[in-house]
Amino acid sequence: MNILVVLRMIPDSAGELQLAEDGRSIDREWLDFQLNDFDDHALEEAILLKEAGGAKVTAVAVGEGANRVLQMAAARGADEVVALQSEEDAMISSREIAASIAAMARAKSADLVLCGVQSSEDVFGQLAPYVGALLDWPHVSGTNRIVANGAVLRVTQERGAGVAVTYELATPAVLGVQTASKAPRYVSGSKLREASKTPIGRATPESSGFERSAEIITLRLPVQGGSGENLGGNAETVADRLVSILAAKGLARN
Amino acid sequence: MKLIACTEGHSSKIEAFSLEMIAAARSLAQAGDEVVAFFAGRDTEGASASFGAADRLIVARATKSDVIPAETYALLLRDVITAESPGLVLVPYSANGLDVAADIAARTGWPLVSYVNEIKRHGESLTIVAQMYGGKILAECEVQLPAILMINPGAFAEAPPGAITAVSVQTIDADPALTSGKVKMVAIDVPDYADVDLTTAERIVCVGRGIGDEASIDLARNLATMLGAEIAGSRPVVDNGWLPKLRQVGKSGQKVKPKLYLALGVSGAPEHLEGMSQADLIIAVNTDPKAPIFNVAHYGATCDLFDLVANLSDRLRAGSGR
Repeated sequence: MNILVVLRMIPDSAGELQLAEDGRSIDREWLDFQLNDFDDHALEEAILLKEAGGAKVTAVAVGEGANRVLQMAAARGADEVVALQSEEDAMISSREIAASIAAMARAKSADLVLCGVQSSEDVFGQLAPYVGALLDWPHVSGTNRIVANGAVLRVTQERGAGVAVTYELATPAVLGVQTASKAPRYVSGSKLREASKTPIGRATPESSGFERSAEIITLRLPVQGGSGENLGGNAETVADRLVSILAAKGLARN
Repeated sequence: MKLIACTEGHSSKIEAFSLEMIAAARSLAQAGDEVVAFFAGRDTEGASASFGAADRLIVARATKSDVIPAETYALLLRDVITAESPGLVLVPYSANGLDVAADIAARTGWPLVSYVNEIKRHGESLTIVAQMYGGKILAECEVQLPAILMINPGAFAEAPPGAITAVSVQTIDADPALTSGKVKMVAIDVPDYADVDLTTAERIVCVGRGIGDEASIDLARNLATMLGAEIAGSRPVVDNGWLPKLRQVGKSGQKVKPKLYLALGVSGAPEHLEGMSQADLIIAVNTDPKAPIFNVAHYGATCDLFDLVANLSDRLRAGSGR
């Protein structure tokens, strides 16, 4: 089986995000870029499928720091790594890159395309259904378990409230991974050093092909704090206040 | 112009956000417009009994499967779009909607905006406020119609439920599409809620990524015990295997409405807020003063959560005489 797994580098939104001067983007100069969490799980699922039944895994990365993450992918077991050229300092829109991923899937005769279920920059739609529809391949997102039996996949999807639905579909297919069957593995420094010699292929992007899209007019920070009361940052004072609040509402204990 | 509101339901339950989609469409409809609700599933009677706020209802009736795979739902919806030529299609941000919205957008070529919180219509264009970066940034977008929007549950109040007149209901047979579909449902697993049912818990202590590691959850668990609360976790905590899935709060976990929700080290991604923002009393502790959880919290603190848990536990222990 040929598996193509997509790795998107996105700003670390756990930190503080500042708006750029143009008001339409975020200031990326001092931001840390990291592998989209869900894509990390997609990579792990690809490697697990390879270990379970044999597969060639091609990792394609896009965005700031793609080379670094591709070396990590090679260290974890990817057989081929490719950097998809992207515009610098721009958000990675799944709508924009879907045609490139679909073209790569065709060129590499992929049986399975894996990516994370979503990324925090996907304001114009998610990657897996775009790629699935462009290729006219079956697609399922929100997966947390994938089992391959030849060309037949059994895929479990989270539906909320603990409900899980299992589907069967044939390859070629596109899957958006929520959680890998096992947590993403740790790679040792020695493996990373060894993988740093892996040649990184280059791919040029395809035109998105969409004639019309929505447009971001402006970005803004949400009004912070809502209408809630700020209790401050001193743990002792906060604890005193919370005990009073809980007691007043009859919630301090059973 | 026609506005299609996509609705959902399975296991004899109509999803509440279906009424929100109808309300969203209604709020954008102008004189002469028509709000058309679309439902695919087995419980067509439930849909007919609930979606009276729409002008019309198109139901794709399935007799053989309780869950419609998103791909089949999208295929049925595409046929409806072809027949109705709507100006706007509203899709809920759900497990199903996530796949449906971009599939339809790719095949029609229409623009799509996801994570939508607010919409304003200006004739044949819309301005939209959507969430990015886990709710830390709001994007004001402009889009020309026809377009597809994927709307956050909770962004619109529910339309009043009520029956729709039989003459306004058009029924399509979904079975052929299910039979020929490339994605087949083979099993549905509904968990046993006997051990823990967060949806009925009156008090919840929820730990997020900020808890750091599995061992530290015991500190929060002890605090929960003192408060008579259930322990719960956000997605990263459950993904790491530190708490079982049934204790996850959020979009893909449980939607809870307790009297007390104490969030420790939870950042408050939109998916999490969707599951808990209706709690009566929300207390959030996070060292990042810009964490989105503070947008829904009634009380917020920026102290170290471990210091707080220790101090709070001491006081509660002293208060209980133990």
